[in-house]
Amino acid sequence: MTDRGTAPRKGPIRRVATWFAKYWVQALGLLLGAVAWEIVGRAGVSPALPPISAVIDAGRELWSSQRFVDAVRTTAESILIGLPPSLLFGVILGLLMGLFRPVEWFFRPYVNASLSLPLVAIIPIILLIFGLSQTTIVVVIILYVLPVVMVNTFAGVRSTDRDLLDMARSFSARRGLTIRRIVLPSSRALTLAGMRIGVGRAITGAIVAEQVIGVLGLGGLVQRLGGAFAVEALYAVILFIGAVGVASLALINRVEQRYQIKEIRV
Amino acid sequence: MIEVKGVSKIFTRDGKSFEALRDVSFDVDTGRFISLIGPSGCGKTTLLKMMAGLVKPTEGVIAIEGKEVTGSGQDRALVFQNFVLLPWADVLTNAAFGLEARGVPKKEREEIARAHLDRVGLGGFEKNYPHELSGGMQQRVGIARALAVDPDTLLMDEPFGSLDAITRHVMQHDLLRLWQETATKTTVFVTHSMEEAVLLSDQVVVMDTRPGRVSQVVDVPFPRPRDQDLSDSADYLEFTAELSHKLEQMQRMDMARSVDDRFDRDD
Repeated sequence: MTDRGTAPRKGPIRRVATWFAKYWVQALGLLLGAVAWEIVGRAGVSPALPPISAVIDAGRELWSSQRFVDAVRTTAESILIGLPPSLLFGVILGLLMGLFRPVEWFFRPYVNASLSLPLVAIIPIILLIFGLSQTTIVVVIILYVLPVVMVNTFAGVRSTDRDLLDMARSFSARRGLTIRRIVLPSSRALTLAGMRIGVGRAITGAIVAEQVIGVLGLGGLVQRLGGAFAVEALYAVILFIGAVGVASLALINRVEQRYQIKEIRV
Repeated sequence: MIEVKGVSKIFTRDGKSFEALRDVSFDVDTGRFISLIGPSGCGKTTLLKMMAGLVKPTEGVIAIEGKEVTGSGQDRALVFQNFVLLPWADVLTNAAFGLEARGVPKKEREEIARAHLDRVGLGGFEKNYPHELSGGMQQRVGIARALAVDPDTLLMDEPFGSLDAITRHVMQHDLLRLWQETATKTTVFVTHSMEEAVLLSDQVVVMDTRPGRVSQVVDVPFPRPRDQDLSDSADYLEFTAELSHKLEQMQRMDMARSVDDRFDRDD
């Protein structure tokens, strides 16, 4: 036996090690960011740059206040109303665009325009139509999310392997079967990517719209705090929004990974 | 019988046209195994795809059992060079795809697919995914998928072209055995290996390039059933060497012509 009993059992150990390393490095990055922030803040570079400790102090008060909780609830509500239909119809319309040329030709200009237009510019128009209400915000969320999901799903459908389509054709497969067995599974990755971007854009859209309106939700709160030069509290809100964004993306990644592993059976 | 009558194909792209096939004619008797062989660019795969109904001839007609080919049909099945399996579906689903396309109910198609997977030596791999299999095994799934629909005509497009030499050898002999057991399917096999063509075929259609055309139709004299003994025999080696030599000359001529073309283009 030449085995010296030191056979490297790399598998699980290394996996745990990477897991630790990943969170360690992430934590280190965040910590260094916070330290830098604190130093710059204490140096008194600008009154608009308070140290993070002051922000957290202000945040502790703010995060438990009624107006903050109300603002979060309003924003969350708008997103929960606006996001799911945007994702659903974005995927459906994207699929139709990918499958039927005329549908593509029909929507193409709108999708491209809405992806390149600064949507902030048309929020006042939507505001004029729907008034100072949650409807305005929901409409803006839809405008932010729908085109991204559509264009990604469309790209997913169009990137279907030509050989696979030829194979289906050689067996005289009907269109329904080809879509179910080939087009949908091969577009899945890009569709999910589009949905992930969509969730991020829903948060952005909601807050931008609220800021323009100026009274509703977290965006409204940001606007009011900014107007009152309550810089520490303003940063506290921004920290919160950032944390929610990071958390929701992590959640989606989880779901996406689980989805990817689950293969399709007959 | 497969009849290829005066088939030409001109591809046009960006205003430039390319003559892939010119006036190709030959017949394949029912139940025979023929190979299409020739230098790359001779249009052998195009011709096969025409038989499959995936490509339309510019001129001429291909008819199978007297019926003109106008599209894909349930009487034919195609085996692809790069396997073309569904990566997200398990082996059983893949092998059953052709049957599913024909609307065979799930239980029945799985039963048939399973039997054909057994025949190609993949029993026990039904629940594996293509990426878990070697190239040779993936092509076995491709062959099972084609045989499962019980086609009258089997069309194979360089099925072993992307496999390593040893796997290729094993696959050739397994196909030979499999085909001789079935022995009723008219088979058209595209290859660029003369050894492979002679071992497997009753007839070898040698094609040439620029434009793609039939250069020679050679009957393979070796009786069936064939096996390993044939591929070791002196007769086989001599026969193959002679044809290979001819093919090699064609390839050299083609290279010379393409050099000429390059000079001609300076006008």
